[in-house]
Amino acid sequence: MRGDPSPQLSRRRLLGLLGAGGVTLVGSSACGGGSLGGGSGQTAGGTEGGGTVKIGLVIPQAGTYTPLGVDMQRGWELWLANHGSKLGGYDVETVLADEGEGPDTGVPAIQGVLQNQGVDLVVGIVNSATALGAADSFAEAKKVLMIANAGAAAITGESGNPYVWRSSFVNAQVVVPMAQYLAAQKIGPVYVMSADYAAGQEVVAGFTTAFEAAGGTIAGQALTPFQTTQDFQPFLSGIQAAKAAATFVFYSGGEAVSFVQQYADFGLKDSIPLYGSGFLTEGSVLQAQGDTALGIRTSLHYSTEIDNPANVSFVQLYQDAHGELPTCFSMQVWDAANVLDRALSTATDLSGDAVSQALGDVGTIDDSPRGSWSFNGQTPEQTFYLREVTQGEGELINSVVEDLGTFAQP
Amino acid sequence: MIGWLDANLVSILNGVAIGALLFILAIGLSIVFGMMDVLNLAHGAFYLAGAYLAYEFIGVESSWWGWLAALVAASLLGMLAGGALSGLTEPLARRPHLDQALLTLGVALVVAQILSITFGDDVLRIAAPPGLDGAVQVFGNTYPAYRLALIVVGLLIALAVYAVVERTTVGALIRATVADRQMVAAMGIDNRRVKLAVLGAGSALAAVAGVLGGPIYGAGPGLDERILILALVVVVIGGLGSIRGAFVGALVIGQVESLGRALLPDLASFVLFGALALVLVARPSGLFGSRVGR
Repeated sequence: MRGDPSPQLSRRRLLGLLGAGGVTLVGSSACGGGSLGGGSGQTAGGTEGGGTVKIGLVIPQAGTYTPLGVDMQRGWELWLANHGSKLGGYDVETVLADEGEGPDTGVPAIQGVLQNQGVDLVVGIVNSATALGAADSFAEAKKVLMIANAGAAAITGESGNPYVWRSSFVNAQVVVPMAQYLAAQKIGPVYVMSADYAAGQEVVAGFTTAFEAAGGTIAGQALTPFQTTQDFQPFLSGIQAAKAAATFVFYSGGEAVSFVQQYADFGLKDSIPLYGSGFLTEGSVLQAQGDTALGIRTSLHYSTEIDNPANVSFVQLYQDAHGELPTCFSMQVWDAANVLDRALSTATDLSGDAVSQALGDVGTIDDSPRGSWSFNGQTPEQTFYLREVTQGEGELINSVVEDLGTFAQP
Repeated sequence: MIGWLDANLVSILNGVAIGALLFILAIGLSIVFGMMDVLNLAHGAFYLAGAYLAYEFIGVESSWWGWLAALVAASLLGMLAGGALSGLTEPLARRPHLDQALLTLGVALVVAQILSITFGDDVLRIAAPPGLDGAVQVFGNTYPAYRLALIVVGLLIALAVYAVVERTTVGALIRATVADRQMVAAMGIDNRRVKLAVLGAGSALAAVAGVLGGPIYGAGPGLDERILILALVVVVIGGLGSIRGAFVGALVIGQVESLGRALLPDLASFVLFGALALVLVARPSGLFGSRVGR
């Protein structure tokens, strides 16, 4: 048998990796050069006897999605800290990698942890294009990818494979409940707006189809240039001109802040009520929007205000650790850890096939902060909530108005 | 025609407001470009620094004192930063222009990263001053009062810059340096000092634009690059080193960004660069570029 690569060679490879992709390592034994060769069966690490599972946490640490990455990492660490750093009885060794903004940085980061670090499975991924770009390598490597955000339908649809799972949501799944609710309210013609990129298009198509199917009429729609629109005035004029009774939008991050603020600045907030996909008012953007966000109603699979014991304790733990409210992004990673904990405790070994099969058998997850949910087609079938932005104690919150029912991937 | 005007008056008005902001932003870039033949790629970063200063001094609970403090701090900091940049480019004065441009790019990246470390990666909102934070009725449409005020401020700054550059001795020196800096040097004038003054004032205006743009664009990572591109387009359309060019260019781009997007929402991503391409084909040196330099 050929021996392990020399430590020097490995170190050089590692340095190359650091230089090329900005991949950083936390808590992994970087100097244990022999482990970098990537034998999947014989897991590296401190304890002998296969008691360790090595997990790649691939999240954005630079670029637009950095705040999401921070929330996700907190969710992961919080779960481990409260469960003895174990998943299904295995000690957990986390290898952290930077997803960056798009597939140009994300896919190499995933391949880095998968091939060079020899992880057993990968958790994370914010960007859908990154998830789609990396899906095939998981089928080839026969290892499990647990997506904790990316919402493209194709990930667990036509481009899916048995190794790719998701603990978050599907873009259109988030807005179908809202479309049906608004149609049932007989709200009148609705103007639909979103940023012009893959997720935005899925949301607009999903909303329009569901809203019209339920008997609603669309007053008009606009897709605004993604991340190059700072001033929404030209499009806001379109909403008024279309004589819309309500506006439904999908924006996140910086665009969510400027859109909501300008919607109020131009006086539309008082005349044409604003509805949206939950990401419009989720997390740090809500505090930046401030008073301009009050009264906006959105649909999402999570709110910090959901009244169940699991959520109350999750919110408390998170606040104790970080002094602020958790977001759906932290919750999605928390739940990813939760389902992996269940799956690893029943899986026969750490191979992708065994873990995948065990994930298929986890059944209903009844202790999730979002309420009980289950896998349906490798992605959550879960409850959606109608939320309204209100003033909480000291900060704005998304209070739960009502339960919109349970929905699977549309 | 009347109906069309009525429907689009708000967009036209908004175009003027955005144009006013773009002028304040681009005028410094244009004159520095005309003088040094070097694109100051750190200009967008100075804008962003101004926007973060606005957040620091003004934030969401806005007051006139906060606004005054932010504007003064932005002017001073911008002037210092511009002066420092002028000093940094000095050793490269005899090197190719690309080296100087790369230096400014490096400065831009460093400044953006420092801002990101200091203020985090969240997008921040900045409130309009009290009294201007409401909306007014214009032609039967609701329009934010702050943007109307911005038009006035933009015009005042344009008049001031015009008066300085076209009507004073210092202005004559600046125009002469834009036109032929060897000749100015031959007359015994140290054009490093002219460069220092112009870079300082131009960068101060960029930072002030960051404060003034706060209630519209907010502050957040990546804004520096988007703003820099807008300023570059204004400078290229208007022509290098020309105040009239920057003024007309800013108003044109304001309309393209506002009215253009309202009329052609499906082509919204392309109208900006479409306009740029049109001008480059029809008048390669920009609308007012033939008057000076080159």
